[in-house]
Amino acid sequence: MTFRAQIPGSFFYKKRLRILAVSNAIKEQDILLEIDDVHMSFGKVLALAGVSLKIREGEIHSVIGPNGAGKTVMMNIINGLYTPQKGNVYYKQKKINKLKSFKRAKLGIARTFQKVEVFGGMTVLDNIRLGRHLHFKSGIASGSVYIGKTAREEVEHRTFIEEKIIDFLEIEHIRDKPVGMLPYGLQKRVELGRALALEPELLILDEPLAGLNLEEVEDMARFIIDINEDEKWKITCLLVEHDMGVVMDLSDHIFVLNFGNMIIDGTPKEVQNNPEVIKAYLGEEDLYATRR
Amino acid sequence: MSTTWLPCGVYHQNYVQDHAWWQTKFIKGKMILLFIILFVVIPLVADSYWLSVCNSIGYTILGALGVQLLIGYCGQLTLGHAAFIAVGAYTSTLLTLEFPWPKIMMDYGIAYPVSILIAAVTAGIWSVLFGLPSARVKGFYLILTTMAAQFITVDFIITGYVSRIGGRGQAFSLPPGTIKVGPWVIDSDLKVYFMMLVFVILCVIIMGNLLRSRVGRAWVAIRDNDISAEVMGINVVKYKLLAFFVAGFIGGIAGAFWISNLAAVSPEHFPWFWSLWLVGVILIGGVGSIHGTIFGSIFMVVVMEVLQLAIMPLADIYPKLLMDFLFIKEAVFGLAICLFMIFEPNGLAYRWWQIKNFFNLWPFSY
Repeated sequence: MTFRAQIPGSFFYKKRLRILAVSNAIKEQDILLEIDDVHMSFGKVLALAGVSLKIREGEIHSVIGPNGAGKTVMMNIINGLYTPQKGNVYYKQKKINKLKSFKRAKLGIARTFQKVEVFGGMTVLDNIRLGRHLHFKSGIASGSVYIGKTAREEVEHRTFIEEKIIDFLEIEHIRDKPVGMLPYGLQKRVELGRALALEPELLILDEPLAGLNLEEVEDMARFIIDINEDEKWKITCLLVEHDMGVVMDLSDHIFVLNFGNMIIDGTPKEVQNNPEVIKAYLGEEDLYATRR
Repeated sequence: MSTTWLPCGVYHQNYVQDHAWWQTKFIKGKMILLFIILFVVIPLVADSYWLSVCNSIGYTILGALGVQLLIGYCGQLTLGHAAFIAVGAYTSTLLTLEFPWPKIMMDYGIAYPVSILIAAVTAGIWSVLFGLPSARVKGFYLILTTMAAQFITVDFIITGYVSRIGGRGQAFSLPPGTIKVGPWVIDSDLKVYFMMLVFVILCVIIMGNLLRSRVGRAWVAIRDNDISAEVMGINVVKYKLLAFFVAGFIGGIAGAFWISNLAAVSPEHFPWFWSLWLVGVILIGGVGSIHGTIFGSIFMVVVMEVLQLAIMPLADIYPKLLMDFLFIKEAVFGLAICLFMIFEPNGLAYRWWQIKNFFNLWPFSY
């Protein structure tokens, strides 16, 4: 049996093409970040050899690949810590190749790091307040007087931080502790809180689950889903992770990198069944064997 | 170290209370008592000698605050802060002596206060100039570039060129009656003392307020982790230069204030050793703490005075002691830093914090 829409030349076929065209156009609009043929080498080591990817708004994307595949280099390029030698980075159709990191933060790109890079000497609260740096207004003059504008602003943002971030991440009990003295799992959580305080549109999570125990992994996975789906946040996530179970469950789209080359990008199902990926990364045996 | 435990039964009910400086009634009472001691008791009790000791403590605090800001809060190692103090002192001196102020301003004593402000801004800008390398270099390399500030400013520009202005030779003498604030001619230790109190309190308030608002947090973030600070949207270079500006500004105030205590200003008042001394002060007091700056300054000045008092009687027996006092002073300085680094690396401020918490939680410290 054939549908009318499948018969070339018919009215319904043309209508289907129109619908497809419209939906494709929307998809182009939805692309938040695009990397186009990026090359990056350090001396004679080619870290990225012509990688392209597109990140759609509102989805969780994951990048996987063996160690040294160039995942973190790619994150650093998106983030502005490295400038690619060839190729372009677009954010909302705007070229941001030469933009400094702190300006990209202003555009709405936040990240967490693989090895936690918190401000060890500051308290949890100050770390998260610092994440809201771009939302604070007070400068050196009003800051030195403090009474009035700055004090009001501090209280206002404190309310946001307490209600939206500290409550959400369940770190009330440590809010006055210096972050350097906290255990690793909590430091990771504080780092996530700091990134959230920026209220970003794109959140890059570089191995958010590395070094956490099973319970903390489950918590973190729940946070990532909430950040992505909750009406309050609705943040697009780009995840770098080795924990295949979590990656396959969370992501809408997966990119597989291997020594600077993109092997495949597709849905979790496509990636799981791709023979090249299995050979390069996942191993011949069970897919879930890589889970700790 | 950043928070103190509140005594039993004291809870904050809103964020304003939690953001306050003096959070309990006991602390408020304690601070009011401190102010009474500073403004009433010391001027009544202390003689001219001890007042001058207090003044040099105040000068050390003002100088060390800028170093504390750069090293302790922003992580920019500096070893040339005396240069900015010198810039402040010379700007203020030149403005009061050479600038053709309108007669009314001289009569009402506005010239010197205005010159302090200009001196502070000049020193701040001068400091930013030598802070520029901090955009590229960190740590030990930055020490060298800030040392260059010392040698270029004091040994080259001030000694070689600025000192020759007016053809007075090496030193600018400040005739009695030149330094005038409002209706008061600053001519006694007591008046200098009150002026010192005002400046120290002002600068401490400015520092404290900056450090609990946006700018201060950015500085501490740069100290702790400059890469993630940049990723969080902080313009690292701008904030480093801002730190240099504020440090230079406070240094300029220190220098401009200090000329009121001097009969003459010469480059020898601002040697490189003074820069090193200020770093020693914050190491002993505690890096990354405003209390620490004050404790360190009190400790260093008082120890040196006590040392002097101890050596005086001994000098009758062994006169060479008095001759070599400068070397003894430097040796004691070095020894104090060594001992503090080994036995109390967090400085006097940490000890203060421990004592405070002990009494806050006393008698049930669990």
